[in-house]
Amino acid sequence: MANHPETELGPYVRGELAPSERERVARHLEACPDCRQDAERVRALLTELGHSVPVAPAVNWGCYRAELRLKLDARRARRRAWWSRPLPLALSASLAGVLLFFAVWNGWRSPGVEPMTPEEAIIGRRLDLLRQYSVVERLDLLEEFDVIRSLDQLAGTQEG
Amino acid sequence: MEPTDEVLCQRVANRDEAAFDLLVARYQERAYRLAWSILRNAEDARDLSQEAFIRLYQSASSFAGRAKFSTWFYRILVNLCLDHRRKGRGWRLWLRDEPDPDSGESLLDRQPAPFADPVDALGRERTLTKLWVAVDRLAPQQRAAVILQVQEELTTPEIAAVLKCSEATVRVHLHRALRTLKKTMETS
Repeated sequence: MANHPETELGPYVRGELAPSERERVARHLEACPDCRQDAERVRALLTELGHSVPVAPAVNWGCYRAELRLKLDARRARRRAWWSRPLPLALSASLAGVLLFFAVWNGWRSPGVEPMTPEEAIIGRRLDLLRQYSVVERLDLLEEFDVIRSLDQLAGTQEG
Repeated sequence: MEPTDEVLCQRVANRDEAAFDLLVARYQERAYRLAWSILRNAEDARDLSQEAFIRLYQSASSFAGRAKFSTWFYRILVNLCLDHRRKGRGWRLWLRDEPDPDSGESLLDRQPAPFADPVDALGRERTLTKLWVAVDRLAPQQRAAVILQVQEELTTPEIAAVLKCSEATVRVHLHRALRTLKKTMETS
């Protein structure tokens, strides 16, 4: 038999179904022994569960309410503090200002590194000069080529 | 005449401390019991049920009064408990044979005694305990649906409002939960 009202058996047993639904399920149960048996099992199970609800550990309700009151007061105090205390706000604003100042100042101090021209890149790769780029970028390549050729010796004296 | 929960909640929104105390007194046992049923840890149940009251205090003005106050409050509480479990702090309780680190007892041994007629055989008590252990091992939404129905005696529409899902979804949760529990009873 199709359309067994499986999910409606619980509400049916508990008397929660609308009249038309209840009538439909009742008619089905008359004709379907499996569903009738199922409905009985659901009824028995719900009864057993209802009669055997585990008991929660005992609580001292005076202490419970006192604890709750403390927690609520602490929560309210925390919320008030954030909005009403001027010192943390002033400190936060000052810190933000200082951070902004340093960010801008560092931006001014460090000029952007200009990208290499193709000629410089080629020469740098050939002579392994990319490590010395900070020296190379300051030279006019065509006029100071001799300096570039002996750059290794120059870098060595600088490190020494 | 005692003010209704909905009226008290409106007063809490206006920062009436006495109204808040009255609501706490009315719901403290239910909140703690429900939290404990979901979490199976007394300390967590205490903390989260108290947190639910704090959230109630903070967001009382958002209670529009369209639903019952209990449904609105249970939603706050159940969401807190399900989130807490989801974060994994309660996952030890999901493992069947995980022994308690202090006592070395298994999960089954740690279950509190269920309501039982003293005349009942020991086997029946163990069966019922096993049944609630099986409830503890259900998927979170199924577990919450069973507890809300069986323990708190909420209707399907009320459970749907608490879990913020459709009634059809609640029926599916309960059907699957009962199917799992039926198998437990059969093997017992």
